[in-house]
Amino acid sequence: MFLRMFFRSFFIQAGWNYERFQNLGFAFCMQPALEKIHADREKLKAALLRHLQLFNTQPYMASFVLGNMASLEERAAASPDPEALLKVLPGVKQALGSSYASIGDRIFWGRLKPMTTQLCLLVWAAGGYYGWLFTGLDTPVSMALLLAGPLTGIVFYSAFAVYWRWRGLKAGYACGGEASCGLNSADWPGLTRLLSTAGFLMSLAIVLLAFGLLAALNGGAGFTGGLVLKIGLPLAVLALHRAARALGRSVFFAAGLLLAASVLVFSVFGLRPFKLYL
Amino acid sequence: MTAALKAVLSAALAGLLGLDSVQAGQFLLSRPAFVGPVLGWLNGCPLEGARLGILLELLYIDFIPLGGVVPPSGAAAAAAGVLAHSAGGLAPSLSFFIGLAAGRIFAPLEYRLRVSRSPWSAAIEEQVKAGDLSLRGWLARSLLLENAALAAYVLAWTALAAGLARLPGVGALYPGTDFAYSLMPWLGLSGLYFRFRTQIYKKA
Repeated sequence: MFLRMFFRSFFIQAGWNYERFQNLGFAFCMQPALEKIHADREKLKAALLRHLQLFNTQPYMASFVLGNMASLEERAAASPDPEALLKVLPGVKQALGSSYASIGDRIFWGRLKPMTTQLCLLVWAAGGYYGWLFTGLDTPVSMALLLAGPLTGIVFYSAFAVYWRWRGLKAGYACGGEASCGLNSADWPGLTRLLSTAGFLMSLAIVLLAFGLLAALNGGAGFTGGLVLKIGLPLAVLALHRAARALGRSVFFAAGLLLAASVLVFSVFGLRPFKLYL
Repeated sequence: MTAALKAVLSAALAGLLGLDSVQAGQFLLSRPAFVGPVLGWLNGCPLEGARLGILLELLYIDFIPLGGVVPPSGAAAAAAGVLAHSAGGLAPSLSFFIGLAAGRIFAPLEYRLRVSRSPWSAAIEEQVKAGDLSLRGWLARSLLLENAALAAYVLAWTALAAGLARLPGVGALYPGTDFAYSLMPWLGLSGLYFRFRTQIYKKA
């Protein structure tokens, strides 16, 4: 049962819609448990309909709720008064969905996902590939290195995601029925802090590496107005990104502004473009 | 293999990888940093694919799929960008900006796809009440529709890029687009740095 639920949990978001969000995926994941619990087809039908109602949470953390609901359904089926347990089911499901969405969004979307980009850049930098920073620089790079960058991030991220999908299912089942079930499975604030710190340090390393490389590639020029421009321009781009965010504009605004200005200056007015490195 | 066939196969693969973002898996296989080099490799330009992919990824870091928010599609962006260059014949710099726009414009399309699935709930309930408890058909339908929509979308952008490449004077844009492209890593690095800088700052 757990294994089937676990594999189905990879489809928790299939059929995502604005009326009931993850309802189809959730019911699909619950099916193996419901089939095991309810031998009677009418009861199975009623249980499936219960889980086709509105539900939404962070996809990796949904396992906690799935395990919890499987346990609650099992206890309700064995209880002489199933209605009393089934009455609390929607409330527990909704409360857990919201709690785990908050935790999962912070950990997976807010921290681990950008960390995969950092890992990709660090792997490429370690392999001597800097073409991602200097767009005109075309040094030969092996396909293995080009794929190793993103794959390192994918493996790192998926290890977390798969682990919590499985552990969440078990932890949720172990304490099924409680509205705070599984929330103490890990030190979530501590993990969030740890990931924030690690992410910040990696960001800092990448930015320092980028400016270090820029300075090194312009080293032969000496301290000239050209060098100031070539270091100052990237800094101005960083400032533009921050200014756009402060004004409530997305990164598309900043990118569009840079594109429009560059086309105007170098394509329309015909000024000779320059590279950021020698 | 002809360029057109390669483009169709690449768009189909992009549609398949794109399913990973919401519908199935969520292993991050739909990230532009992965889609870019893979499609670049298939189309004979792995370096440009990798570069386009990681730059799109850096810019898209600003967007988080919280709740019902539909972020720009990284898979659509990377696939449209790589194919605009390899099949469309545009310079990498212009292809990048085409990819950036394609990913952004896919978000409202994805929103409509999600809205179109809303009436399914009532139909599924009716089916279950009638005694048919199989949900696999609905899941397959959802996956197929998403796959087909993304693949067709990427192909449409590729055709648009090919048409653009044939316009007289498009080459005059390249000095400007090349320069703007050279600044994109720095724009992306800002997003990457300040995402974590803000978290640390808030914590303090």
